[in-house]
Amino acid sequence: MPAPSTILVPVINTSASLDAVTAACAIARQRKGRVYVVHVIEVNRSLPLNAEMDAEARRGEALLRRAEEIASAAEFHVSGGLLQARDAGQAIVEDARDRAVDAIIIGVGYKRVLGSFEIGRTADYVLKNAPCQVWVVRQAVGQPAPAAHHG
Amino acid sequence: MYIIVAGGGKVGFYLAEELLNSNHEVLVIERDPARARAITEELTDAVMSGDSCEATTLDLAGVARADLVAAVTGDDEDNLVICEIARNRGVPRTIARINNPKNELLFKKRGIETTISATQAILGQIEQELPTHEMIPLLQLHSGLELVEVRLPETAPVAGRSVRDVLLPPESLVALIVDPGGVPRIPSGETRLNAGDALVVVTRRESMDKLREALIGAIHGLDT
Amino acid sequence: MNVLIMGCGRVGARVATTLDEAGHTVTVMDLNPSSFRRLPASFKGTQAVGNGMDGPALERAGIKEAHAFMALTQGDNRNYFASQVAHEIYGVERVLCRIYDPVRADIFSSLGLEIFSPTALGASVIVSMLLGDQAAKG
Repeated sequence: MPAPSTILVPVINTSASLDAVTAACAIARQRKGRVYVVHVIEVNRSLPLNAEMDAEARRGEALLRRAEEIASAAEFHVSGGLLQARDAGQAIVEDARDRAVDAIIIGVGYKRVLGSFEIGRTADYVLKNAPCQVWVVRQAVGQPAPAAHHG
Repeated sequence: MYIIVAGGGKVGFYLAEELLNSNHEVLVIERDPARARAITEELTDAVMSGDSCEATTLDLAGVARADLVAAVTGDDEDNLVICEIARNRGVPRTIARINNPKNELLFKKRGIETTISATQAILGQIEQELPTHEMIPLLQLHSGLELVEVRLPETAPVAGRSVRDVLLPPESLVALIVDPGGVPRIPSGETRLNAGDALVVVTRRESMDKLREALIGAIHGLDT
Repeated sequence: MNVLIMGCGRVGARVATTLDEAGHTVTVMDLNPSSFRRLPASFKGTQAVGNGMDGPALERAGIKEAHAFMALTQGDNRNYFASQVAHEIYGVERVLCRIYDPVRADIFSSLGLEIFSPTALGASVIVSMLLGDQAAKG
């Protein structure tokens, strides 16, 4: 299996998704490839898709800056953007298709529902529908879910 | 317009596809999760899985900002309830598909527009005011040929000309003309085309744009 | 009073029986003839097999003579539909309609029918059983 050189990383405010950025940078750097980070703002149907989502956009920009910091610490550069969509999974898969990336690297938390592991709706959709490779970075067991308060 | 289509069966699916093609914001709500997944493949984020008869589902769908709700499930009682909830939430226009023509009177008394099931009829009703929908695909034939209905607007470049003088794309022909009074005629070369006529035209799928240009003229509205 | 009841389930059968015993003229309609087994042998009213959403079936069951129509099937939407047929098309004086979903019940209440929601009623009865009448009112 060839290592991917262009990689899409969807980011949300979890340690796993920032770990995914780190991993993507390390892999793409070896191949002199590119990493795109994307944050999807899910827009409720009570609003039009292009509604102004100021608070969410600010949070998203902060996440993208955080991803850029991680990249530059690894002496790499990422480009990124915000997307507004009804469903994050669909938006990620569509973006991967548009950019024709080799892989999506997605971070997932460790969550148990009724005793069994649940991967979450977005990662599940991406795994089932992405045209490219999908790499999953799962957070270690016992780590608190919402990280990245620092920075 | 934001249009909610309640019911993702054959009627709802084709209706949604056409409305998306004419650049409307569309959401299909389908009760059966398996069917919802199936149509998501084509319609992507224009599908929601849920029961449209539940006010909470319609609220989640943003019904309050919808310009139109088309209830096209296979059950007339469900379609009535969907339209009533939609109106309660302030939707200005509701259209119900009626499966049993005997029920038309009740919908009329309740002030709900109705249509007898065919997708094209619903489309026609929705699109009446819109300038871009003078061309309605009716049927795909095996050989890559397509049957379309073309309504000639006032501004049609062919209005007042005879069929013979109209330059149609290759392998296209006017098969039938229905005048505004609803009278159908099989045209000859001398038949005059008038604004308001509905033409049933056979053409090739790839010639649709050329056909539109020839009969209707420059596209105005959403595409420009 | 001449009463037409749609739906011969537990509630429909009981309402029919009670009204029949009180001397009213009762017709019960149901799609499924075996539902009429819930009526006692002493029932003097009429049993009609048919769909209460269908005009001709309602006419056969005597809706034109009915002073009251009650929709008591299991389906909220069917009950609403049939009730509106009785109200809008046949102009029945009193139309009572059972709607389980309290949200739908609220919406339909403003549309010319007498709606009752066993869900909302049941909940308030249970609360008042537990806490006494004071709490239920408050």
